[in-house]
Amino acid sequence: MRVALVGNQNSGKTSLFNCLTGSNQKVGNWPGVTIDRKEGVIKGTETILVDLPGIYSLSPYTSEEEVSRKYILEENPDVIINIVDATSLERSLYLTTQLLELDCQVILALNMCDILEKKGISIDEKELSKNLHMSVVKISALKNMGIQELINLLKSEEILDNKHQKIYEDPIEKAIEKISSQLNDLKHKRFISVKLLERDPLLKDKETENIRHDITECEQAYQLDMEQIIANQRYLYIDKVKQTCLTKTPVPESGTDKLDKIFLNKWLALPIFALIMALVYFLAVGVVGSYTVELISGEGGIITLFQNWLSEFLISNEVSEWLISLICDGIIAGVSSVLGFVPQLIILFLCICLLETSGYMSRIAFLLDKLFRSIGLSGKSLIPFIVGSGCSVPGIMTCRTIEDETERRITIMLTPFMPCSAKLPILTLFAGNFFGEFAWLATVFLYFLAILTIVFSSLVMKKWIFTEKGSAFISELPEYKLPSLTYVLRDVGEKTFAFIQRAGTIILFCSVVVWFLLSFSWKLEYGVAIEFSILASIGKGLAWLFYPMLGTLSWGSAVSALQGLIAKEQVVSSMAIIAGLFEETADATIFAGNGIFSFFTPASAYAFMVFNLFSAPCFGAIGAMKRELGSVKRMLQAVLFQTGIAWVLAVLIYQIGHFLEMMG
Amino acid sequence: MHRLKEGETGHLSDLKLGQCAEVLGLHNDNLALRRRLLDMGITTGVKIRVKKIAPLGDPVDIELRGYELCIRLDEMRNIDIKVVSK
Repeated sequence: MRVALVGNQNSGKTSLFNCLTGSNQKVGNWPGVTIDRKEGVIKGTETILVDLPGIYSLSPYTSEEEVSRKYILEENPDVIINIVDATSLERSLYLTTQLLELDCQVILALNMCDILEKKGISIDEKELSKNLHMSVVKISALKNMGIQELINLLKSEEILDNKHQKIYEDPIEKAIEKISSQLNDLKHKRFISVKLLERDPLLKDKETENIRHDITECEQAYQLDMEQIIANQRYLYIDKVKQTCLTKTPVPESGTDKLDKIFLNKWLALPIFALIMALVYFLAVGVVGSYTVELISGEGGIITLFQNWLSEFLISNEVSEWLISLICDGIIAGVSSVLGFVPQLIILFLCICLLETSGYMSRIAFLLDKLFRSIGLSGKSLIPFIVGSGCSVPGIMTCRTIEDETERRITIMLTPFMPCSAKLPILTLFAGNFFGEFAWLATVFLYFLAILTIVFSSLVMKKWIFTEKGSAFISELPEYKLPSLTYVLRDVGEKTFAFIQRAGTIILFCSVVVWFLLSFSWKLEYGVAIEFSILASIGKGLAWLFYPMLGTLSWGSAVSALQGLIAKEQVVSSMAIIAGLFEETADATIFAGNGIFSFFTPASAYAFMVFNLFSAPCFGAIGAMKRELGSVKRMLQAVLFQTGIAWVLAVLIYQIGHFLEMMG
Repeated sequence: MHRLKEGETGHLSDLKLGQCAEVLGLHNDNLALRRRLLDMGITTGVKIRVKKIAPLGDPVDIELRGYELCIRLDEMRNIDIKVVSK
């Protein structure tokens, strides 16, 4: 048996899904969209539960609604569990009236029944069940109440059959009847008839002259268009049902409203927000976060110690040199540069999860919406940018909280423009060496340039690339609540695991490839000097790309930029190695005398720095982009877009700078 | 903008904090958006109260049908209303 779980956003769908399935879950994506597709087996049964995206209606306008509709109509689940927030019954039943038009058994799960009393609401579920002609179960997914009753009902054969009650006024019901009589033996006749009346664009092929005629007749009678008539009458029906089974007594102002007087206060809201963000930054990417990274992969960190120990162990066992290099310099170095972020990520995921489950995340969008909308982003885009200034990987992963697909994709593509902490060595090297006492100014200008690039790119993308209509900001401010410990742990664990999994696959693979190119010559000799490696010849092949921003052909610069793909700080160590120095003295001597990098002038130095900071991020971030954008194609588009912008900026800076240098 | 008095008509965006109104109709060219508003219960005759306003003046949190909804001024300008008492 297959059961679909359908409900509004914030109706507690995820909690109920977890309650019902325990740990037997499979998470993937719906075909074509980056919306989670979750499946699990209901505890103590063999019933498969499919979690459909949170929706308010089965209209054809959002990808969530389309996915849900397609699933229900094409894959015909045996039963639908319609989870409903009992504290906003009226709005929630709107979706129920649509589900009841399907040829499918529907169970109404009245969620959040534990807080009804506090809100002064009482619901007579027997009366509700009688009115709607469907099985109703009172539950609380958060308190694990009524879950067993729900499972028992599913197991029994006692689910009330869907009677397709007439809920509209006579003229509409007549039109529905007429259409459905023409639909032969199609499944979900009543549902499709209503959608046809509403001129549903996804059902255009079934539209006939007769139907169009009926629609016009009804519209003339009501002096409204069909979509409005249907919506009005659904709500009129719900109003009638509600009056028989729901009573409300006035209650004192809720805790949420009191808290909002502070958190959404005209003067206090933004300072409080800044404070909370500062705290998140401090914990995740600032002092605490970088301490944990140091602990894992810094000098004397766990991974470094392990690496040293392993290489000594391998040497003492006379393992061949190239294999040691593959393991230590290729695999461990590459993967550990990413795994080093794990503790930091855990802290960050914890912060984000707390912000989300407590209800504050929705307020952030509410606070900043006006500001960010003017550049085509969502208020929630700020969080990935702030987090991204520490590390792009978690920054990109926090884009998940942005509901609108377009805004989410734009934010994912723009987050790597924020100079992350791994890019700081590049900044120090170039700004420090070429701008002397004005190094700070060069740095400030760079951050300014990053923000400018984000704003500009967003405007460009919104105007020419993602031309679909802007999202309406229609969402809810959920109640503030204390996060549930099990939920938080589970959420953080899942996200961390997904990250580690990726480090073990794509990042491992890419690191090995770059190691190979760097360590071998075309004749497959191992251990050649860097200038004879395959990577160097690739660098020579690509040097012309860098000519417009350097004013010379420099394979060393090209190779170093390529190495930045493993981790951005590698740009600096690569330049040091190529200049024939030891890694530790990566300072002014890189550019000294007749060395390979002595051609750098302030103009080309700034240009090359900008290119490295804004071009394709490291493999870790590219992997995150692939996962969050949902396809390799979109990931490549993003990487090309970023590298393109970086190239144009770098060339502009060099050409202007070079011109100024020539002028003296 | 002056404060609309009871019985006066205007757009939902004209309401001040705490004011109530009855919806007279929606006129929006963006069908998807209009449908969304209908789905959320903004249908003819429904009573709406402005409950919270974002510090920058937009968006706005409105109360209707026993729940709350955040919506932008742009959308509110397309909703015709008549001011009513609480």
